[in-house]
Amino acid sequence: MKRRNGALRRPRTGIAVAVSLVGVLALSGCGQSAIGQHAGTFELTAETPAPAGDIDRFTWALTTEPFSLDPAYAFDYADNTVLSNMCESLLRWNADLSVSPGLATSFENPDPLTWVYTIREGVQFHDGTTMTPHDVVVSLQRHLDPEVGSFWYSTFQNVASVEQTGEHEVTVRTTEPDSQFNQLMSAAPGVVQSAASTEEAGPDYGNQSTGVNCTGPFQFEEWRSGESITMSRFDDYWDPDLRARADEVEFVILNDANARVNALQTGEIDGAWTIPTNAIDPMRASDTGNVYFGTNATVQSIVISDMEGPLGDVRVRRALALALDREALAQAAVQGYGTPTDSLTPESVWRDADDATRARAFDDIAHYDYDLEEARELVREAGAEGERIVFATSSLDPSFDVVSQAMASAGKEIGLDIEIDTRSQNAYTLLFSDPAAIEGVDMFTTLWYLSSTDPLEMYSVLRTDEFSNYGKWSDPEFDDVVNRAVATLDADERFALAADAQRIATDQLPWIPLFDLPATVWMGDRITGVDPSINYLYFPWAAKIGRAEQ
Amino acid sequence: MTEASTRAVRIREDRPTRPSGRWRRTARFIAGRVIGLALTLVAASLVVFFSRFVVPGDPARFLLRGRSPSEEAIAEVTRQYGLDLPPLQQYLNWAGGILQGDFGRSLQYRDDVSTVLLQRLPVTLELVALATLFIVVLGLAAGVLASLRRGRPTDRVILVVSTALGAIPSFVIAILLIAIFAVQLGWFPSFGSGDEGLDRFVHLILPALALGLTFVALVTRVTRSSMNEQFVREHVEVATSRGLTRPSVVLRHVLRNAISPILLVSGVLVAGLLVSSAIVEQTFGLAGIGSLLVQSVDRLDFPVVQAIVLVVVIAFVTVNTIVDIIQPLIDPRIAAGTETR
Repeated sequence: MKRRNGALRRPRTGIAVAVSLVGVLALSGCGQSAIGQHAGTFELTAETPAPAGDIDRFTWALTTEPFSLDPAYAFDYADNTVLSNMCESLLRWNADLSVSPGLATSFENPDPLTWVYTIREGVQFHDGTTMTPHDVVVSLQRHLDPEVGSFWYSTFQNVASVEQTGEHEVTVRTTEPDSQFNQLMSAAPGVVQSAASTEEAGPDYGNQSTGVNCTGPFQFEEWRSGESITMSRFDDYWDPDLRARADEVEFVILNDANARVNALQTGEIDGAWTIPTNAIDPMRASDTGNVYFGTNATVQSIVISDMEGPLGDVRVRRALALALDREALAQAAVQGYGTPTDSLTPESVWRDADDATRARAFDDIAHYDYDLEEARELVREAGAEGERIVFATSSLDPSFDVVSQAMASAGKEIGLDIEIDTRSQNAYTLLFSDPAAIEGVDMFTTLWYLSSTDPLEMYSVLRTDEFSNYGKWSDPEFDDVVNRAVATLDADERFALAADAQRIATDQLPWIPLFDLPATVWMGDRITGVDPSINYLYFPWAAKIGRAEQ
Repeated sequence: MTEASTRAVRIREDRPTRPSGRWRRTARFIAGRVIGLALTLVAASLVVFFSRFVVPGDPARFLLRGRSPSEEAIAEVTRQYGLDLPPLQQYLNWAGGILQGDFGRSLQYRDDVSTVLLQRLPVTLELVALATLFIVVLGLAAGVLASLRRGRPTDRVILVVSTALGAIPSFVIAILLIAIFAVQLGWFPSFGSGDEGLDRFVHLILPALALGLTFVALVTRVTRSSMNEQFVREHVEVATSRGLTRPSVVLRHVLRNAISPILLVSGVLVAGLLVSSAIVEQTFGLAGIGSLLVQSVDRLDFPVVQAIVLVVVIAFVTVNTIVDIIQPLIDPRIAAGTETR
């Protein structure tokens, strides 16, 4: 299960969606090398020491404030980090990225267009009412309602109907075979909430005043705007294995990375996901807690956002990939806490593929080893010498500035004029939602995470006319392969097609992959028990945290 | 003492105006101020509202930031938030709503703007109030002390320190305060606003200092120079030569006459505090309207931006109107609505 400096070997099945990035501010200089030879190296851990007992309360840092806790709008780190503890989905995404039953005890796929879910009995909502298939139907159908404007609409775009078809049964029919729909039932789109509460709250559902009414091990208590969100143990929770070990958990919103790291080190806040990479070494050297590394589904890449400009020529894109010394960049940008990669998907999401397919997906693809000479030649061939390229960056993540600087100097080496356009954090996140914000920008960096154990979640967004295909890249062969893969319900065949998609994407570089990143978590000395894994976005991870042996 | 007041009365009696005329003028002056205030607010509301059309970006896109929104959803959301109406109609709806206390819906929080604002306003007001207290107490004290010791080492030290403080931006002061008093000494919490009451007070001490110190420097210097100016005036020398005690001279003849510019500067400061609170709030993890403003601008949450800017404009104009109105009460030489202020 452990592997030095690398990602987990075996991914499994899943689904997911990508999102832009989270807010992590640059830290000011606090370089420190007390951990000596371990700095910049890491091992993935499957779990942390089991708790010695229950705990009255603990606090957890959030880098940004969620906009809403409504699962229809839970599309980023902060909202899902909180929501996953209060609201559960039909299926469960486990720490090893496998999928197991959740609020549905089983599902069947009797024909390619039909998904039948058997709904768990005896599950209570936080207000004491009992969950019924009707709640499931209403929860899923909501994503199709234009008045709601769900962020997860695309997951449901092939859904024709959602109906109760038995006392404990819900059937979803799709207009065409869709392998991705069921996979995302282990993420936010699969959340079941009380139909009555949803209707009663209307547009206020999930906001600061109202909160949510779901089935998770914690229930919503209080949301102090801009400061904190508090949840408490739900005593009538259905799953004894995941009964919350803490009476109360308070999420503290701290935008400032310095403030956050200070608060973690002094113990004012007990834990946090996603430690800024430039704070990892000092925090590992600290004696007030531990940094753990775990399975992730995140690749840091450069999005090519304008295919009309000089980067429309694949030779220029390849030249950029060749001109970046990614080994050195991994040290400079993420302090070694990332593994250079030539693929846009992390190996972790290939866990359900067979060995041969996985080897094909990662070995039989183009590789871009640092080669300035070849890069210069490609730029010359493309006639792109001296062309101006705009690279947007922000302090959202401490690595972004380093990557943009490296790109600018690499560009200079190979005859391109790369100009850095620094934006505020929030303005930067608009690049991912507002087509108007991208105008005039040729490329930008992203930490793109997947919400399911399936590489197609990545590649389906790069099809022609997909919203997140920011550069409007278009390749008919790629579209065809991905469309066939999405419609393929047999896992082996699907992964084989996904490997083809990966080969084309790596060859054509609609985005330029940089690093495969591990999940990181800090826990202070008071607490322990969490599984360090990206599944924290959709799994009630906080329930496992209790008192540490002191 | 008696002689001094007799003299003041005599001066007033010398004026041609009768008392009732002065009151009428005062009333007219106040009415004029209030009308000016209203006009300013209307003008400000126009600027505030229409400036959003200059900012690039489509709010509907922000409301639908998932993967691929459907066309119907874009149309529906645009309609829900009234973004499909002509701008003038949007303004009238907005302004009409505000008159009824409805500031619209926040795009980022999907909640009423008034709810979002009311949750955050108390922290900012408490922060500004505490900072104002620091500014007035520390600023006046340092200024008075410097002036009393003018030309001596104490004066020079205060001058140098206040010049230095005035030059350090509040976010640097904030980081220093946190590093020293929260992280190293552990005397104060480093973030958050705590619970109502004493806990809140303790949480706000460092942020209020970070916010106020720059302005303390300003008030110190204005107090000092304004008092120094008075010290060399004839009436002060006369008062001193008549044997009045030094405290009485300083309080009644120097400070009272020097207070006018100090008050004017303080009025401007309050609005400045509201604006600079954004940075301090961010650094200390306080959820006030300052940090909300910055965040809302970036996120194109224009109903929130408009509401906050309007609140700040109201605060600014109101405070300055109040300062104008109370000036004559403090310094009778400035009769309301007349002459040279």
